Amino acid sequence: MDRGMVIFLGALLTCASSWLGLILYPYWQLNGEKPYQKDAADDPYPQPLQGQALAGRKVYQQNGCMYCHSQQVRSEKFGNWWDENGQMKTGADIKRGWGLRRTVSRDYIHDNPTMLGTMRTGPDLVNVGSRYSASWQYTHTFNARTFNSWSVMPSFAFLYMKEAVVGERSEKALKLGREWTVDPGYRWRPSAREWDTILIARGAAITTQFLGESIRAGDANLNPDTPEGKKRLLDFWLTTEEEGYQVVPTGDAEALVAYLLALRKAEVSLPEAKE
Amino acid sequence: MVAETELPHYDREKAAAERAAIDGSCRGPVLFFAASAVCWLLVGSALALMASIKLHSPSFLTSTAELTFGRVRMAHLQAVGIGWSSMAAVAAALWLMCRLARAELMYPRILYVAGVLWNIGVALAVFGILGGDGQSVEWLDAPPYTPPFLVAALGIVAAWVVATFRRRRETHLYVSQWYILGAVFWFPWIYTVAVFMIFWSPATGVVQPIVNWWFGHNVLGLWFTPIALASIYYIIPKVIGRPIHSYYLSITGFWALALFYSWAGMHHLIGGPIPAWLATASIVGSVMMFIPVIAVAINHHMTMLGHFHRLKYSPALRFTVFGAIAYTWVSFQGAIEALKDFSEVAHFTQYTVAHAHLGAYGFVAMTFFGLFYYMVPRLTGREWANATLIRIHFWCASIGITIYFVSLSIGGWWQGRMLNNPNVPIGNIVNYLLPYFFNRSIAGVLLTIGHVAFAVSFVMNLAGWGKKRVGGPTYFVQAATTSPPVLMPY
Repeated sequence: MDRGMVIFLGALLTCASSWLGLILYPYWQLNGEKPYQKDAADDPYPQPLQGQALAGRKVYQQNGCMYCHSQQVRSEKFGNWWDENGQMKTGADIKRGWGLRRTVSRDYIHDNPTMLGTMRTGPDLVNVGSRYSASWQYTHTFNARTFNSWSVMPSFAFLYMKEAVVGERSEKALKLGREWTVDPGYRWRPSAREWDTILIARGAAITTQFLGESIRAGDANLNPDTPEGKKRLLDFWLTTEEEGYQVVPTGDAEALVAYLLALRKAEVSLPEAKE
Repeated sequence: MVAETELPHYDREKAAAERAAIDGSCRGPVLFFAASAVCWLLVGSALALMASIKLHSPSFLTSTAELTFGRVRMAHLQAVGIGWSSMAAVAAALWLMCRLARAELMYPRILYVAGVLWNIGVALAVFGILGGDGQSVEWLDAPPYTPPFLVAALGIVAAWVVATFRRRRETHLYVSQWYILGAVFWFPWIYTVAVFMIFWSPATGVVQPIVNWWFGHNVLGLWFTPIALASIYYIIPKVIGRPIHSYYLSITGFWALALFYSWAGMHHLIGGPIPAWLATASIVGSVMMFIPVIAVAINHHMTMLGHFHRLKYSPALRFTVFGAIAYTWVSFQGAIEALKDFSEVAHFTQYTVAHAHLGAYGFVAMTFFGLFYYMVPRLTGREWANATLIRIHFWCASIGITIYFVSLSIGGWWQGRMLNNPNVPIGNIVNYLLPYFFNRSIAGVLLTIGHVAFAVSFVMNLAGWGKKRVGGPTYFVQAATTSPPVLMPY
């Protein structure tokens, strides 16, 4: 037989074996898996995403969220660590509160693409919808460092719009101090000179506002002319909302948050997920 | 591999003329693929550096959607994966096949079509992802409108490689040819299966990640690895003028790789919502990889034995041997990393990233650099203009990848240990990782400097700045003794 033919047949057979074993067999086993319905009166689980949440999956996908966040809870027996008594424990995912049980293939039947994830720079999100409110998600997505100074999550300020307030502030507007909204995506702080200019123009009003807050009663002696007073006043002023401007989510941000809120796998119990 | 002494009728002049004719026939397409590869290497390096900096300084370039971390990371992988490494692999496959088959390339112009299609594919992938069409399927993030270009280009390349092989005048089949034939057969297969089952006719739920990792692991195992090994098998004997250590070991290595590497991949889903037997099957495959890796390692390193002093002056050999050592290392590490206990820590951490870069860069990219330093002067007829640029490239690349690997392996391991302990908050883990992320950026700067030096050398060579090839090649330092005659004619 021609040597080329030997190589061809060998290459074909070896690769075919893995294709049959690792692709075709699991395909027969798992493709077209059906939702779970305990009895006829119950809603089947899982339900496909609808509307905004479905659009939000696209936003999650196109911005590569899964490169820092996985979407799977592993079993109670997975991994190990030793507690302070030297006892070995397992199952960190569930103990971290990322889900009530491990996730199984049926949880993902409506996922396309199935973003199980590849890296945990941040926490798992498969059940994140049960952990945080919509307003937390909006603020956190806008800039994660508003909550956690250590966070290295990118700011998604590009999914928000900064606009002049016409009439009342929008209900959707983020409730954030000006330090976060003056330069969306960054934490802003005026230089000493800029702060002096602002104080000359509006110092009295800011001081009044500062002293007006009941919580600041103990600060009645604040003197904005001393360096300490100036700094205290600045810290306060940075936490107040920017006058005349507001930051509101775009449709993409609303969709993304709807998706995050809809991520509620690992809650409904499934017979095959028992340990 | 036949030594000169066994070829009584070997006519040096005639062989040189034949080599020149072969190189002349494939010069255009090979250099086109090689130059495209170098361009994408620079794009990929810039994206990599950007992504790396973002991980420790999240406010770096944060205000636009196009440059957000997730997109830059996806674009980086496409630029270096299907841009640099794959196009370099095609250049390598074409040239090595022509040389080893002793056959001219037929209709070389059609390969320009393949090269253009391939470049369109990579450009659509990289800029499509930055524009918001990324797919979040690791290794396959390219928007769904790119695969047709790549499949078409790949089809042409595979057909031309096989056609060149069929027209061979050399009756002896060298091991490099086996690997190249395997690779051009396997890669189109795994790529079309993956694209079909994930994008064109999406499979249900977790079948997608199964297909994803079958592809993601095999693109390394059955595409980059065989062609890079083919290059190592070619360069080492050529430069040191000595046949490969054992012919039989090279056969063992090839068939064991074909059988076992293709079964790896599912260990990337360890603990995940897939049937447990799948991960187990892949662990077996990964551990069995010890057989081909040891066979190849013995072959490469035993051939080199006693010739290490040549690393001092030959750039092609120095890069290639770095690649060969990295291959041995990364494969041993990979086989151990697949084991369940190990994987439970290393999975979802930077440890895996370090491992992937030791393979994709330390082994594959370094090997292709070595091949380019050997191949390009023979195609352009010009020597490398400047040995210092090559030296900068080598030291930046080798020190850079070492810092990268050591740093993220340590950081990633402890990241994994902490993730497995629910009492350690995520914030502590992020803070712990920051210095390691910073080290990666330092490594990234070094690697990028190396790539710029490489690209400058490459452009200078194409522009005809080097001296004409008459005597020996550009060495780092002049060899103490004159280099021995090259014993392997093709």
